[in-house]
Amino acid sequence: MTREILRRLELLNQLSLTEEEKESVMAFFDAREADAACLESIDTSEVERMVHVMPIMTVVREDVVSQPYSREELQRSAPETDEGYWCVPRVVE
Amino acid sequence: MRYETVIGLEVHVELATKSKIFCSCSAHSYGAEPNTHVCPACSGMPGMLPVVNKRVVDYGMKAGLMLNCDINRITTFDKKSYYYPDLPAAYQTTQWFAPVAVNGLVEIETSKGKKGVRIKQIHMEEDAGKLVHDIREDTTHVDFNRTSVPLIEIVSQPDLSSAEEVEAYLERLKNLLRFARVAECEMAHGTMRCDVNLSVRPEGSDKLGVRTEMKNMNSVEAIKRAIEYETARHIDALENHTEILVQETRRWDDIKGKSYAMRSKETAGDYRYFPDPNVMPVQIDDEWFESIKSSLPEFPEVKQKKYEEALGLSSYDAEQITRSIALCECFEAAYAVTGNAKDAANWMISEVMSILNARQMTYDQLTLDGRALGELIKLVSDGTVGRANGKKILAAMFDDTAISPKIYAETNGMIVSNDTGLIEKTVKAAIAEAPKAVEDYKNGKEKALMAIYGKCMKELRGNCDPQVLKTILIDMINQM
Repeated sequence: MTREILRRLELLNQLSLTEEEKESVMAFFDAREADAACLESIDTSEVERMVHVMPIMTVVREDVVSQPYSREELQRSAPETDEGYWCVPRVVE
Repeated sequence: MRYETVIGLEVHVELATKSKIFCSCSAHSYGAEPNTHVCPACSGMPGMLPVVNKRVVDYGMKAGLMLNCDINRITTFDKKSYYYPDLPAAYQTTQWFAPVAVNGLVEIETSKGKKGVRIKQIHMEEDAGKLVHDIREDTTHVDFNRTSVPLIEIVSQPDLSSAEEVEAYLERLKNLLRFARVAECEMAHGTMRCDVNLSVRPEGSDKLGVRTEMKNMNSVEAIKRAIEYETARHIDALENHTEILVQETRRWDDIKGKSYAMRSKETAGDYRYFPDPNVMPVQIDDEWFESIKSSLPEFPEVKQKKYEEALGLSSYDAEQITRSIALCECFEAAYAVTGNAKDAANWMISEVMSILNARQMTYDQLTLDGRALGELIKLVSDGTVGRANGKKILAAMFDDTAISPKIYAETNGMIVSNDTGLIEKTVKAAIAEAPKAVEDYKNGKEKALMAIYGKCMKELRGNCDPQVLKTILIDMINQM
């Protein structure tokens, strides 16, 4: 883990870490990378790719419309609504 | 130095399902009040689990097969992280590791001939919501009606090299997807949107240049203009060093005819794709796969060839009808009744398509019963109903698809009369009222006859064999 990669991850995750947190996160990532390197040393060229950790497949539903919730119910916990919209801090200048 | 443009397209197509991809909210909210087609799942409430809509997978497979792709029989959903308020869960559920369809090929035809465009993959995913910035200055308003509406994204390889090829490719995609009835593909309605990836390199080079992406283009004309502008900008940068090209996402302003940098391009790693633990893999077993495969229509060009070779239609007529599966089905049903392909094709092109155009309907919105159209064509061709009244009946059949043309003609007094006595009486009265036209006709002005003919036809409400009327009219004038 480098300072540059960490800076990019901070940006992507919209985080602002303190110097202390940065040290701790970098140590954590270095340890995980070591774990990954350990796994990578195993030859998996003959192993079929696993698509999911659970050996089960999804169920599907039919294409039928239902609308059991009202807007008022859904917006009850919203910090702010206006004219039926959820309101968030302005995202364009 | 000569340059060539290298273009790859990412085309988003809204699937024509009734409900959303992972919940049962309606997928059609055009013009609806904000947030009225929303539930805890598609508004990103914590703990809600997605349930896959089977028809989305059906349509994903259909699209893949129409584009000659291989279908992944185990296809998985993944999370693509990005933080923006139009995506309430802060990630998009999409497909990255095992998309529904891969390795396709689409053939296009331009002025330079035929060419294959390789399809890298087709993946199924959810649409984002809509942000409104102009209601209040201090806040952004969020509408989740469109969130989780099902999309497929069709990713091409960078095989296109001009605006003309891009146009041909998009037309081909529309035609194939509409034929399979998986999508409307109407750019003006936002049901087809296009991201253009473009770079420029010296002709003959096999190394790709710096690539820029223009997102969410929504008209073919704008796409063509944007490609021409970007190509010129890239070449100018390479030749004259006017700017340093960087990999970035650009916004196309069609009014100003310019593109602007939006942000540096994310790489796949930035999205931190990972398998969505909330959606188990979708297994497409043999029965499911075969049922979809057998439900596919003939390809448009196969139908076109059949119409030309087996039914004797001109290449133009066959091409017009194969523009839509709905037109094909209507034509084939009408032909089955009349047994006259040319006649059925004429009615389809000159009457049915005209009404669709006049009513600003797409060809796929045609609901006319082809068998009833066949009956109408027979009534007109055997002289039971006049052509003008035939058109009126057709218009009524558009308004009410249950109408029987014969019953409608009878109840509205549109059956051609064989009553020569009535025709003679009408002609006699018309001649008496138009002595000048009679004299002009006798003096060699053929057109003068048509004025009297038109008056008689109007008087008889079109219910008269045109040839019989003309013969009686000429005979009576000649006897004067």
